[in-house]
Amino acid sequence: MSDTGHKSRTITVDCLARVEGEGALFVKLKGDKVTDVKLKIFEPPRLFEAFLRGRHFSEAPDIAARICGICPIAYQMSAVHAMERALGVAIDPAVRMLRRLFYCGEWIESHALHIFLLHAPDFLGYPDAIQMARDHRELVETGLRLKKIGNRIVSLMGGREIHPVSACVGGFYKVPAEQDLRALVEDLKWALEASVKTTRVVAGLDFPDFQQDYEFVSLCHPEEYPLNEGRLVSNKGLDIDVAEYEDHFVEQHMKHSNALHSVLRGRGSYLVGPLARYNLNFAHLPDVAQQAARDSHLALPCRNPFQSIVVRAVELVFACAEALRIIDSYTRPELPHVEIAVHAGVGSAATEAPRGILYHRYSIDDRGLIRFAKIVPPTSQNQRRIEEDLWHFVSQVASRPTDEVTWKCEQAVRNYDPCISCATHFLRLQIERE
Amino acid sequence: MLILGCGNPDRADDAAGLLVAQRLRELGIDAREHGGDMLGLMDEWGADDEVILVDAVVSAGKPGTITTWDARTAALPPDCFPCSTHALGVAEAVELARALNRLPRSLMVYGIEAGNFEPGGAPSPEVWNAVERLAQDLAAASPKPLVTVPADPPNTV
Repeated sequence: MSDTGHKSRTITVDCLARVEGEGALFVKLKGDKVTDVKLKIFEPPRLFEAFLRGRHFSEAPDIAARICGICPIAYQMSAVHAMERALGVAIDPAVRMLRRLFYCGEWIESHALHIFLLHAPDFLGYPDAIQMARDHRELVETGLRLKKIGNRIVSLMGGREIHPVSACVGGFYKVPAEQDLRALVEDLKWALEASVKTTRVVAGLDFPDFQQDYEFVSLCHPEEYPLNEGRLVSNKGLDIDVAEYEDHFVEQHMKHSNALHSVLRGRGSYLVGPLARYNLNFAHLPDVAQQAARDSHLALPCRNPFQSIVVRAVELVFACAEALRIIDSYTRPELPHVEIAVHAGVGSAATEAPRGILYHRYSIDDRGLIRFAKIVPPTSQNQRRIEEDLWHFVSQVASRPTDEVTWKCEQAVRNYDPCISCATHFLRLQIERE
Repeated sequence: MLILGCGNPDRADDAAGLLVAQRLRELGIDAREHGGDMLGLMDEWGADDEVILVDAVVSAGKPGTITTWDARTAALPPDCFPCSTHALGVAEAVELARALNRLPRSLMVYGIEAGNFEPGGAPSPEVWNAVERLAQDLAAASPKPLVTVPADPPNTV
């Protein structure tokens, strides 16, 4: 018999910290049975798609980047690739590798922030990273140093840490010299080693026994762990060109959320992000990252969302190794970007933001002005899945004391590192027991 | 003495700390701007530094009110400092530095009460006025700890 019996209980957490954005989580219980779950996002619509209409195609990367302070590169990359598809632009192979390096910087800073400062406190029993730092100083210092190295890459490639300004349709406004990149090598070697150790450390955390039959969706590239390019593939038969995205994925307005829910047409929820990428692209991880996963006894496929913290650590290993590989083979391109011949066109692209697929589609006229813009961020795509996880997970833990259920719910939401500002800023949690 | 101005130049009164740093440089005083990732704050100083930090704050005061905290002797009030997106704000960054034993020898924090964070907006006259008064005070003398200066009436810059 639980401590709750069949009585009603209402639990309200005014502010679920350590997620980005403003929203609320509502969980209704009758006894120990879950009767309703709603991820309510009340952040007002931010209307970026409307802001983009009428602007010149060349402005899209910098306007879209303003959607998010932690993954602006993802927005820039999806925008430049979509515009390049609309305009039939082929970029220099060296520029293509620089874009991967740029993205590695964002993955390193974003994953380090989430692993060490946002998610680890859940597992180690602290309300936040500040309390955790008093007892786990080395862990937090490692996270801060890793994040700083990611910031350094972004700053070097993009001109500044937040909302970088160098990416453009056709390449970059400015590309680094070989010696500029070589200056990152020693830091990245340390970061690679620290990431491998981190994978072992986080793999030893205590994970709830919770697995779901997800449809994982990510980009898949024939030769690379996905960042900028690939087909959209799932573990349940989806295999499409990005141009077909809207034939298969639909956005639905839900009364309780200002962010649209994305679902797979006729199939429902799906999961994007580290778990999906890892499960669908393990073969393309570098040996050092594969070995880190094996040494951590990380399952393949991994269906436990709480272990996303381990997968993020494996992806940290990947991002550091990939950055080193790119720097080692880098020769500065003759031109930082190609010239663009403007004409009317439609182009779509998806790239892998740290939290998952970020889809953009643009239609431009013969003057290069944007007539239509559609942006589907990863948190919108994971919203339905987060709710479904909670339906099942809360059922497992409902008999426990209310404070513990509340804590576990917050932790389950943070498995997804949700960025609500992207999807439309604090998440408030309310559990109501009937 | 290391003077750091924090904030966001594109969110109206949130630019207050950055504007103080800019004004101090105009007055011939070395001061740095620190925007974006506040986790990087503790990399700006060393253990032996005397640091002054200026940022916009939100409390119950009137816009333009200047409040001072000695962050070596007490925790900063977490609800007063605007958070940056998906990261820590100034108060959390300072408390994290304290937990990691990475505070500088002295850390005085000056908060300028903000009233408007409109994206793309201009700072209010009250905040401009406070920026000028604080920059002049910092330029003229070493910081005067633990004082609260009432805001001047609007439009008296």
